[in-house]
Amino acid sequence: MSEQRKKLLEVQDLQVTFGTHLHPFHAVKGVSFDIYEGETFGLVGESGSGKTTIGRAIIRINPVSGGQVLYRGERISGRISRELDRKVTRQIQMIFQDPMASLNERAKVDYIVSEGLYGRHIGEAERQEKVAKALADVGLLPEFASRFPHEFSGGQRQRIGIARSLIMDPDFIIADEPISALDVSIRAQVLNLMSQLQKERGLTYLFIAHDLSVVRFICDRIAVIHKGRLVELAESEELFAHPLHPYTRALLSAIPLPDPIAEKKKKLLVYDPSIHHYDQETPLWQEISPGHFLLASEREAAEWQREPSR
Amino acid sequence: MPSFRFKDHKTQQLSQSVGEVLSRNYSESEFFEFAPYDPTAGERGGYSNYSYWGSTLRSFAQNKVAMFFLILMVGILAFTVVEPMLPYAPEANTIYKGATNLAPCKEYWFGTNSIGQDLWSQIWSGVRTSLLIGLAVACVEAVLGVIMGVLWGYVRKLDFLFTEIYNIFDNVPQTLVVIIISYILRPGVSTMIFAMCLTSWLQTARLVRNQVLIIRDRDYNLASRCLGTATWRIMVKNLLPYLVSILTLRMALAIPAAIGNEVFITYIGLGVPLEIPTLGNLIKAGQTVMMESTLSYQLFFPVIILSIITISFYIVGNSFADAADPKNHVK
Amino acid sequence: METETILSVRDLDVKFTLRGQVLHAIRGISLDVHRGESLAIVGESGSGKSVFTKTFMGLLDSNGSVTAGEIRYNGQDLAGYTTDQQWRTIRGREIAMVMQDPMTSLNPLKTIGDQIEEAIVLHQGLKGAEAHAQVLKVLEEVGIDQPERRSKQYPHEFSGGMRQRVVIAIAVACRPKILICDEPTTALDVTIQAQILQLIKDLQKKYDLTTIYITHDLGVVANVADRIAVMYAGDIVEIGTCEEVFYDPKHPYTWALLSSLPQLGVKGEELYSIKGTPPNLFLEVKGDAFAPRNPHALKIDFVERPPYFEVSPTHKARTWLLDPRAPKVEPPEHIKHLREQGVNRHV
Repeated sequence: MSEQRKKLLEVQDLQVTFGTHLHPFHAVKGVSFDIYEGETFGLVGESGSGKTTIGRAIIRINPVSGGQVLYRGERISGRISRELDRKVTRQIQMIFQDPMASLNERAKVDYIVSEGLYGRHIGEAERQEKVAKALADVGLLPEFASRFPHEFSGGQRQRIGIARSLIMDPDFIIADEPISALDVSIRAQVLNLMSQLQKERGLTYLFIAHDLSVVRFICDRIAVIHKGRLVELAESEELFAHPLHPYTRALLSAIPLPDPIAEKKKKLLVYDPSIHHYDQETPLWQEISPGHFLLASEREAAEWQREPSR
Repeated sequence: MPSFRFKDHKTQQLSQSVGEVLSRNYSESEFFEFAPYDPTAGERGGYSNYSYWGSTLRSFAQNKVAMFFLILMVGILAFTVVEPMLPYAPEANTIYKGATNLAPCKEYWFGTNSIGQDLWSQIWSGVRTSLLIGLAVACVEAVLGVIMGVLWGYVRKLDFLFTEIYNIFDNVPQTLVVIIISYILRPGVSTMIFAMCLTSWLQTARLVRNQVLIIRDRDYNLASRCLGTATWRIMVKNLLPYLVSILTLRMALAIPAAIGNEVFITYIGLGVPLEIPTLGNLIKAGQTVMMESTLSYQLFFPVIILSIITISFYIVGNSFADAADPKNHVK
Repeated sequence: METETILSVRDLDVKFTLRGQVLHAIRGISLDVHRGESLAIVGESGSGKSVFTKTFMGLLDSNGSVTAGEIRYNGQDLAGYTTDQQWRTIRGREIAMVMQDPMTSLNPLKTIGDQIEEAIVLHQGLKGAEAHAQVLKVLEEVGIDQPERRSKQYPHEFSGGMRQRVVIAIAVACRPKILICDEPTTALDVTIQAQILQLIKDLQKKYDLTTIYITHDLGVVANVADRIAVMYAGDIVEIGTCEEVFYDPKHPYTWALLSSLPQLGVKGEELYSIKGTPPNLFLEVKGDAFAPRNPHALKIDFVERPPYFEVSPTHKARTWLLDPRAPKVEPPEHIKHLREQGVNRHV
């Protein structure tokens, strides 16, 4: 399906290593995926799986130790020109997980939202106008501009965070668990807002999450990551209908159902990595069916496809 | 006691606007009709009237001991400035012939010293000089220390270089530096200030650096980097406001420390020349006659003034640092 | 099932003073907790759900206090307890608590084994080798492999899920009657979340515990709760059995909570969302606290606080919509048929 769709972001064999030479910690071990223009790409995994590291490597907070990241065909990882740096800073933005930690407590909302505009030689009147518009776009009242972040609830703070990235007029937004720290009742507000902004502005999202139920609702394609490696990637419906990797299946079975009867019948699957024998057979990142990728040895791939997926 | 309720008008406004929504007078017959729905009403609800500076000042004002010392401190500061302009004030170094070693009396409030100078004028002149030294050193220490510390902590590439420089200089005792400088240059107030400034900012810089290291990778700083905010702006807007509490404490301690240093260096004879009254010179002079109980006032008066200044700076600084810590903004 | 009340709360009021202002955190709650049941208290942050349960253990912050009402437990009124000495007879040994962040309840400088042993020595009266054997038994019980080796490790050597298991082990080792779990799984990964909930459920059966879950996520309690109390702005707005609340919710706030679950969302359509934020409890709440955010609000909601309307002997809700004079309002379409269609279409 993707021939005519343009690739916005290409992640090629990305590796991120922390620590010293003597005690390296490989957070991301050779991850590749493409994100197409206008889509929402989900990256799902547990804490410590490397999903946040990937997001931060793309936005260039974490240095890349291997592989590369291309944005609109241009390499943006490693050393890049000043001009490209400025362009990429404008076009790629990030929404953070914890709205309590990601806003500067000592600055007013007005400053926080327009922070990205400083250094761009924008007049005061225009700046204020843009702040008012950004606040309105995320459903906040204009009078909030003169207040400090601690006066707001979690959902409102997260929307301030979104307004701050919107003011840059980005094309691509990395949303790093944007709703995990929020009350369930508020999550819908933020998810709806993100979908609505995507429709209005043709944004592309990388949506990082640990909870499959959320990604399914918002994402077009989903990649599942475990211990720094992608284990499965497919379109959302396909992934939910035919999960192949046992880790994906475990994740799916763990989604809590808001239905007492169904929930009591549900069987919880637990993923046990010791079922793999990768010292004897090498796993391959392979396309099982069009658009559905899986990390498995040949034997495993055959076996998993035979099992009924649920 | 001032109440520092800057923000209360906002709460009141909110109370009124919410009150208006809630107290609409509906007649009983229409009770069970749908009410008009206003989506912005829900947004308004969660307002809390918290202001960082308001709470800091209020919390400080509630500390009665600290307020007492603040008033005392401001009083002393103001008086040292005003004192020489008072009509009766004699020049501090004026020698009254025949009036040596006079105990405190109506004419000489703090008595006179062994060569017949008025101790009252001498002490205030000394306080003036000592405070000048203290303030100057503290200011330089703050400015240099903060700039260096923030750079050191925030710019990763500078870390190694700065750490090495720090290690080298930190191993040279400060007193030694001051002694050598006073020896090389002409002893005097400015030499004193220069010598103390040379090394004192190192400690502040390290303190600031450690704090910056703690907060540099917090999400809100990462967010600023993602927005392409210039490094200097991150330092001024994101880092410094979080250091207010520890910096005020540090400053409040630096002033008495510098005064104490001056006293010590002058006391061992390497500081400010005798003809300039400083607390150090006065204490030194007082100490030589200390053994004679009738003259001990010559030591006590400067020591008491020194203690009052030191203690008030310490208590005010400490209380302000506490008040500036958001954790203490509950009450 | 005949019910015996283990804890009974009547007209409880809790107020905090913050910067000279009074925050009315709990506004007259009455609730009976039945012996052996598992009760879930669901609400947004700021709804007072944690504060409410903290009053059972005397754990309110120093600027807050119970200003009215009573908490009956074992013939005693806990609301009248003032000294730590009194509370010590309750905390841990009668009512124990599992917090959201396991790190805050573990001592980072002591081995896991020592921390569990402490609780066992104190509450079960065992000593020496006997106590040590019990530690290993407890660790095994909460699903920690190689208990001998693990008991010698420190909290930081454990993953988040494992730590939470240890905290549960300690809580249960005190043999409490009531176990309060305050967002026990919020900080954990989804897969671990389900396992921890299952563990608590198993332990409840084994030790005949009464459990109270506190959570903001209605989704996670469907499996574990017998009854659900929905809290909003310091008050219980709806209470009923698990099935009643999920399949036949009556309060518009419960509707909103249910409909905003992403599990129920339909792709490409807008998720239902609750507009705005919870009310500021520094201001006096008049009428129904949810009214300003409620698209189905009646005019009376702004004037008078609704009483409880009984739907069934086990199910009641505080909303004027249940008044016979009120217009009939249907719950949102997609939560109406939860029972028939199940949520299975999603997985």
